[in-house]
Amino acid sequence: MANDPIVQVRDLRKVFRQGDLDVIALNGVSVDIAPCEFVALMGPSGSGKSTLLHLIAGIDRPTSGTVLVQGINVAELNESQLADWRNQNVGFVFQTFNLIPVLTGFENVELPLLLTQLKRSERRRQVETALELVGLSDRMHHRPDQLSGGQQQRVAIARALVTDPALIVADEPTGNLDAKSAADVMLILQALARSSGKTVIMVTHDPKAAAYGTRSLHLEKGEIAA
Amino acid sequence: MNVLSFIAKNALRNGRRVTLTVSSVAVSCALLVTLQTLQRELTIPPESEGASLRVIVRNKVSLMQPLPARQLSVIERIPGVVAVSPFTFFGGTYAGETVTSFAQFAIDPERFRGLLVEGRIASGDYDDFVRDRTSCLVGADTMTRYKLKVGDRMKFTGTFYPIDPDLRIAAVFAGTVDDRGVFFNHKLLDDVTGGGSTVGTWYLRVASAKVAPDVITAINAAFANSSAEVRAETERAFQMSFMAMLGDVKSLTLSISAVVVFTLMLVSVSTMSMSIRERFRELAVLKALGFRRREIFSFILAESFGLAFVGAVFGIGGTWLFWSHINLQKLSNGFLIYFEVTPRIMAMGGTVAAVLGILSAIAPAIAVARMSVADGLRTLD
Ligand SMILES: Nc1ncnc2c1ncn2[C@@H]1O[C@H](COP(=O)(O)OP(=O)(O)OP(=O)(O)O)[C@@H](O)[C@H]1O
Ligand SMILES: [Mg+2]
Repeated sequence: MANDPIVQVRDLRKVFRQGDLDVIALNGVSVDIAPCEFVALMGPSGSGKSTLLHLIAGIDRPTSGTVLVQGINVAELNESQLADWRNQNVGFVFQTFNLIPVLTGFENVELPLLLTQLKRSERRRQVETALELVGLSDRMHHRPDQLSGGQQQRVAIARALVTDPALIVADEPTGNLDAKSAADVMLILQALARSSGKTVIMVTHDPKAAAYGTRSLHLEKGEIAA
Repeated sequence: MNVLSFIAKNALRNGRRVTLTVSSVAVSCALLVTLQTLQRELTIPPESEGASLRVIVRNKVSLMQPLPARQLSVIERIPGVVAVSPFTFFGGTYAGETVTSFAQFAIDPERFRGLLVEGRIASGDYDDFVRDRTSCLVGADTMTRYKLKVGDRMKFTGTFYPIDPDLRIAAVFAGTVDDRGVFFNHKLLDDVTGGGSTVGTWYLRVASAKVAPDVITAINAAFANSSAEVRAETERAFQMSFMAMLGDVKSLTLSISAVVVFTLMLVSVSTMSMSIRERFRELAVLKALGFRRREIFSFILAESFGLAFVGAVFGIGGTWLFWSHINLQKLSNGFLIYFEVTPRIMAMGGTVAAVLGILSAIAPAIAVARMSVADGLRTLD
């Protein structure tokens, strides 16, 4: 059981329609990802990395093919089931952090927990644990504009893991960071896969970042390159 | 943090937008409520039960033509008539004013006693008024306005009649729909109009609202084909025919109100969709985190509704405070008497604001619901 893949992608195709033109973003991708893997998705711009990540994370729907996450066919869930599923199973980290500017770090991390039944005190404990994990306990009451890029990205990681999801997806998480902050973020993601039982899928252009992962996947023109 | 404080933080995030939305809703509500109050004031004349019990008899030719005094004995005998007094508009000016805002009437004090239905004597002595033919009966509002007290004198200059009555205030009345008039003894006019052969109108009270139509018919019939044919109508009908002269106030205020509401709608709809469009990417993030369409819709709705609500409270509450603390009767020279912002009008203003709050949330909410999370994330901040 433990070695059953947590993510199974089969013959995945995604075609975007742009005016009269069909853009094939993914052209028959099949891949398995095992629990606790830290996968780096690499490839040239426009090769379909973000698209693959979105389909696995359930924020877009495939044209054909299947994505099974923990045995669940994501494409078969309706909008609101999918929303619940994402809340419980997927944590998101973005290149541009995407924190809510009017909320403090603490409140940003608390946001996904507002959808749960947790009491206020339980929420607080979980938020504090997550912020401690990313080393930001001392700055949690600052708003994003009072934090550095690296600190903002760590808040975003805390937000991604506060609901204790099995899967963390990150789209170029170091793309807007200096080398030092990038290394900090990589170490945190690596630790999540190594010791917290998370499966991390990360899109990156940076071979140094990819080196933190357990495996690299290369996409070329919507297909997995050997 | 809870959901409510999250919504509040979102609503208040942009100070300029909050100010713009709240103040535009407030100003529009204030205008709307004021217009509706004005319309109510102008189209519903002061109404009282007494007004349908009182009948005014005037010359059929015009209000300006006098009636022969001898008609009194005929009117008195008509069944259903409880009290009747001559009632002649004097139309003088007070104390050298160029325009006097309260009316003066010459009446028969003894007979008039039975006509002051809702009124009461607030000070002085009505019998004193009956006894002294150079005294007068004055409305409480006029007493206050000119800082008068019982025993003071009021000097009028005649415009239609060649007399300048100098009257002692014998009694003060209050509690009628319009406590402003001054009444004095008809004998003063009789002295200068050939010994009391004519009166301006007859003012009478009928036993009940039910018999009023019969009394009116009987009076009109009694003087048909005489040298002075009359037209009798209830005080209420008399007021209504006067109001008709104010023209189509109703459709005027209605169309101005419609323009106000429409402008308000444009402002609030556009500020709301502007503010949502600015946040498209954030809302996509919320969706990614697991918030459903219906939750995001309620955030947007609560935000827009909340801002409209605050605007309405300021606008409607402020208007109410303003009109209830200002003496409009004095400012308008008695033209507007109550100008009461009724709960009904306030509720109407609140409803308009609420509906607009809801309407302006709909379009942005639909746009957000339609957006796929992946597309929303791709939009640049
Ligand atoms: N919503 C869309 N509509 C039309 N075309 C799209 C859409 N999303 C992606 N594409 C196209 O699909 C292809 C793959 O896009 P994707 O964003 O997955 O690339 P990527 O590998 O993440 O590139 P980058 O490294 O630049 O982020 C591109 O050609 C892109 O233009
Ligand atoms: Mg990409």
